[in-house]
Amino acid sequence: MVEAGEIYALLGGNGAGKSTTLLSFLGFLSPSSGHVRINGKDVNYDITAARNVIAYLPESASLYEHLNAHENIHYFLQLSGSSASQEDINTALDQVSLVVDARQRKLSEYSKGMRQKVAIALAILRDTEILLLDEPTSGLDPSAIDEFHQLIRSLADTGKIVLMVTHDVYGACQVADKIGLLQNGVLVGEFMANEGSIDTETVHKAFSSNSSPS
Amino acid sequence: MTTLSSIKLIKKIWLIAANEWQYWLRSHLSLGATGIFLVLILTTSFLTTAHMDSENHLRSHQQSEAEETFLSQPDRHPHRMVHYGHYLFRTPAPLAIFDPGLDPVTGQAIFLEGHHQNSVMFAESTASADLGGLSWLNPALVYQLFAPLVLLLVGHSSVVREREAAGLLPLLALGISPHTLVFGKALALLLFSLLLLIPLLISSTMAFMSGESSMTLLLLFLNYAIYIAIWVVLTLLVSIAFTKRSTVLAAMTGLWFSFSLVLPSIAVSITADTVPVAGKIETDLAMLSSLRKLGDGHNANDPAFQQLRADVLKKYNVERIEDLPVNFRGIVAMEGEQKLTKVLNEFANLRMAAELSQTEHLADYGWLTPMLAITVISRTLAGTDLAHYHRFQREAEAVRLAFVQGLNRAHIETLSYEDDINRNKNEDAWQRARVDAANWQVLDAFQFNTASLTERINSASPSIRILLAWLIALLGLLLWSCKRVMP
Repeated sequence: MVEAGEIYALLGGNGAGKSTTLLSFLGFLSPSSGHVRINGKDVNYDITAARNVIAYLPESASLYEHLNAHENIHYFLQLSGSSASQEDINTALDQVSLVVDARQRKLSEYSKGMRQKVAIALAILRDTEILLLDEPTSGLDPSAIDEFHQLIRSLADTGKIVLMVTHDVYGACQVADKIGLLQNGVLVGEFMANEGSIDTETVHKAFSSNSSPS
Repeated sequence: MTTLSSIKLIKKIWLIAANEWQYWLRSHLSLGATGIFLVLILTTSFLTTAHMDSENHLRSHQQSEAEETFLSQPDRHPHRMVHYGHYLFRTPAPLAIFDPGLDPVTGQAIFLEGHHQNSVMFAESTASADLGGLSWLNPALVYQLFAPLVLLLVGHSSVVREREAAGLLPLLALGISPHTLVFGKALALLLFSLLLLIPLLISSTMAFMSGESSMTLLLLFLNYAIYIAIWVVLTLLVSIAFTKRSTVLAAMTGLWFSFSLVLPSIAVSITADTVPVAGKIETDLAMLSSLRKLGDGHNANDPAFQQLRADVLKKYNVERIEDLPVNFRGIVAMEGEQKLTKVLNEFANLRMAAELSQTEHLADYGWLTPMLAITVISRTLAGTDLAHYHRFQREAEAVRLAFVQGLNRAHIETLSYEDDINRNKNEDAWQRARVDAANWQVLDAFQFNTASLTERINSASPSIRILLAWLIALLGLLLWSCKRVMP
């Protein structure tokens, strides 16, 4: 269970089921057992309603390279049924600290970090209750990771639920409120990140892909 | 689905289509392929229109010159005029500026004379140039062959691009259904197809000004739109089926080669083997053997006309042909021509039926490749197909028989038998065996016209059904394959 205003990091090794869990939240996969609930309602009961409250950020922000930041945000907002003025878009881009000069350039000229910023600006403008982040810091340099963590924190502080999957234990401890350890599709442990209560043995086990959940 | 949600859905489809256009407008490959196609279609349209226009004027001019020459002949023996003969010219159909069809490879002029059904021949020496080089390229062929190529170059990445860039999941996570995404991509490609079809509208407007019916032009446009829509759906299907852009491009290129080049060639070869048509020499020899049994129409004493002689003498109640009030030699010529024409027509009809049967057999291969179906439809509606070539031959034969028998009638009624048989005795007798040139007014002005729209639709309908079946089947497949559009 993830509460409003909380950042929940789901940790696990390759094949642990992290991305599968996210796909279950989006209704693309059904859990083999148990339920996925958003606001108390089963996701599969009304997939469209579930997707409307979720902003999903994949590992590499899948925006269009032939469009610039403004055009990308405008297009995806319209597709999701929302809209925003140029001013709103600029405000969101300011919030994610995307340099002004870059905003009219095509995304094919952007670094991965810059693309992530555009994707987050889009999520801000969509103003959904939930943010699902799939390996959001993978491939980012340390300063970009710090910047990203600050952004995520500021979004959570506005009451949004952030669920991120990652294999970056250190990063998760830095940004998350709560950490879940996933192994072979099973949650094998859950810790409060700020209490220093992480059981390193369990973490080690969770990242060992061949071990069975205890 | 409520009206509001329908409007939202349509809006999303438009957005996806607009974004696709934006992508193409910024893609060198799309712009290059479209540009090359437009240059090619506009160039071939201009060149074909100019060529056909010049051919039309030339043949019309030659036709009226031939008529003038025939009508201005001096007083002569009527049978000399039968052999003097006359020319007919096949003026191109208005839509030949778009699809010349068989025009460049079949003759355009025919020499009409007594006792022979001559082959249609090429009217002028420059026509031989039509058979070489790149002159085979015309707007219809550019559409049939190259429009699919441009579509696959521009549209092959439509869906696979999203998949390759891991963009499907974020899109679907926004609440966009696979069907909405595919319909948006399809709409973009269909609108692009309309752009490709603009030169066809220009050619159609020119054909309309030359007298082609608007209904024919609409039908032609719709059939080409269906043909291109088939390639749109095929492109989307392949783009959905594979996960890599390079695989999609290779598969689409393979399909294009198969449908546009390989299968039509195989179909032509198989048809030539399975539905053979007798060669001209073989047919002519068989025809000659039948004609020999008819007797010589130049010889009033030929035993083949003994019964005719008896019947005519009885009819006029006289004992000798010299006592007849009409010229018996003319009657023999007329009867001989009638019998000969019957045999000639029997052979001609057999040959045309065999040729048509071959064409119909080839058209059935439209089930294997839509290119064959559109080729048949295009030529049929344009009035440049084999049936129209046969139509010209039949019209020419009707004109030939009418003018020969008209001259034979003059032979019977205006020249006495005595003057006729004594024509070679001296100069006076020769002069007396001539009839007034006013008798040469047996020709009507000839203008070759295409068959009625109903006839053309009837001829094209089997191929139209094939083309529609292709589209419906592929659309069904596309709807089914939308479920593959998943992350």
